[in-house]
Amino acid sequence: MTTVDRGAVTRMPEPTREWWRPVTWAVVIALAAWSLWGLDARWERLLDAPADLWDLGRLLFSDMAFERTGDLLVDMWESIAIAWLGTIIAGIVALPLSFLAAENLAGRFTTLVVRQVLNLLRAIPEVILAIAFIPLLGLTPMAGVMAIGVGSIGTLGKLFAEVIEAIDDAPVEAVDAVGGSRLQRLRWGVVPQVLPEISSFLLYRFEINVRASAVLGVIGAGGIGGTIAQTLQFKQFEVAGLGLVIVVVATIGVDIVSGAIRRRILRGPSRG
Amino acid sequence: MIRFRDASVVYDGGVRALSNLDLEIGDGEFVVVVGLSGAGKSTLIRAVNGLVPLTSGHLEVNGREVPGLDRTGLRELRSEVGMVFQGFNLVDRTSVLNNVLMGRLHRVPTWRTLLGRYPADDVALAAAALDRVGILDKARVRANHLSGGQRQRVGIARALAQEPSIILADEPVASLDPPTSHVVMRYLKQISNELGITTVVNLHFLDLATAYADRIIGLRAGELVFDGPGEDCDAAVFESIYGRSLTADDTMDKQAAM
Repeated sequence: MTTVDRGAVTRMPEPTREWWRPVTWAVVIALAAWSLWGLDARWERLLDAPADLWDLGRLLFSDMAFERTGDLLVDMWESIAIAWLGTIIAGIVALPLSFLAAENLAGRFTTLVVRQVLNLLRAIPEVILAIAFIPLLGLTPMAGVMAIGVGSIGTLGKLFAEVIEAIDDAPVEAVDAVGGSRLQRLRWGVVPQVLPEISSFLLYRFEINVRASAVLGVIGAGGIGGTIAQTLQFKQFEVAGLGLVIVVVATIGVDIVSGAIRRRILRGPSRG
Repeated sequence: MIRFRDASVVYDGGVRALSNLDLEIGDGEFVVVVGLSGAGKSTLIRAVNGLVPLTSGHLEVNGREVPGLDRTGLRELRSEVGMVFQGFNLVDRTSVLNNVLMGRLHRVPTWRTLLGRYPADDVALAAAALDRVGILDKARVRANHLSGGQRQRVGIARALAQEPSIILADEPVASLDPPTSHVVMRYLKQISNELGITTVVNLHFLDLATAYADRIIGLRAGELVFDGPGEDCDAAVFESIYGRSLTADDTMDKQAAM
């Protein structure tokens, strides 16, 4: 083409009037204004915050109690163990539920009911679950495990179900064609197709749960959070500071290792 | 023995895929079904193992009346009927051997199949099936690492592992190039002849059909328009099946040359 028809632009359809744009902005701004007013925050204190933060930082990190490293690592390990056990429990419960929540495997009514159960579980924060489990299991790591386990079922079940709904129907048809039963259809038609994604989601949830289990310690459900909360309370800043550093380093470490494993799982073996 | 009597299949929405079909296929026959896409070839094949239920009429397979079968009866029937698919329908993320062992699902106790602990005899049978189609060396490879032709041979081995009396092949070479298509067709023919397995193959290339079929069945709009040996299937017969004269699109060799 040698020339461009400049007249084309005048014949282009008019842009559609996007009435929702101003409406959306108005709603966002109104909600922000309402929140500001409703919170009744003391904004003048914000000016002191950088200085306070500096002081706190110095208290926590200037003279860390390295002789307590061993104890704190044991606590961190407990937090990671709580997260791992909770994630495994959640996965074991979520997998069968996800079969029932997938529209290509279960009936319309079943999926509707199971999805609502999963939504309900997802809506309860882990801290609330831990508070509910403490009277049953005491101030023990087991309360943390159960809180994380139950709290992860909702999200994992929903994610698993979405993976299952995206499978290729062809291998499932093949299992039907050889005379396989419903269970065999799941085992050989569905599971091999979804296993990599499901393991990956499980590891990802574990990464999230490491953070959650550190927090749960604060209310006494085991792990390093408890130690940090107590030492802060008794103004042992040099211990609390080291604890925080350990939480951050360990969490990043878990993310790196788990992330590398997840990428390898999704890529599959290069051969064989 | 496969026997259709006045069999019809009407899909939701009123499409008549099979129309009052009368057809008998004897034991050990190698039959090729030809016709345009939408002529009912796939429906005919899937009716035999009950993947598509008849809307009316009768269908007898190995002495069973297919429309009357319950779930258990259907599974029993399907375990005797191997199926080879156009898209291979393999589980990509598991080994070739595991795919072939799927042919044993109905014979092995469920708990064993769920754990993937198949008895040694069944593993031996799967290995023999892979050997017959010449890819035993690929047994431990993941299915998605194979070429199209190799994947279809795994599909055939899976059907063979069922020790079937009937093999149904639904457009088994439609996703393959011409040389590979001939390899797959030769295996199907050879297996049918040597093991006496009744084989029904859907094809849409007429030259491929006449090259391999003992008997050709022509379908047009769900109706039987030709039934006879391959050599009788000339240009006139072709017009009756396809509703027009032969073009390069209809023969694999000419199409490959284009």
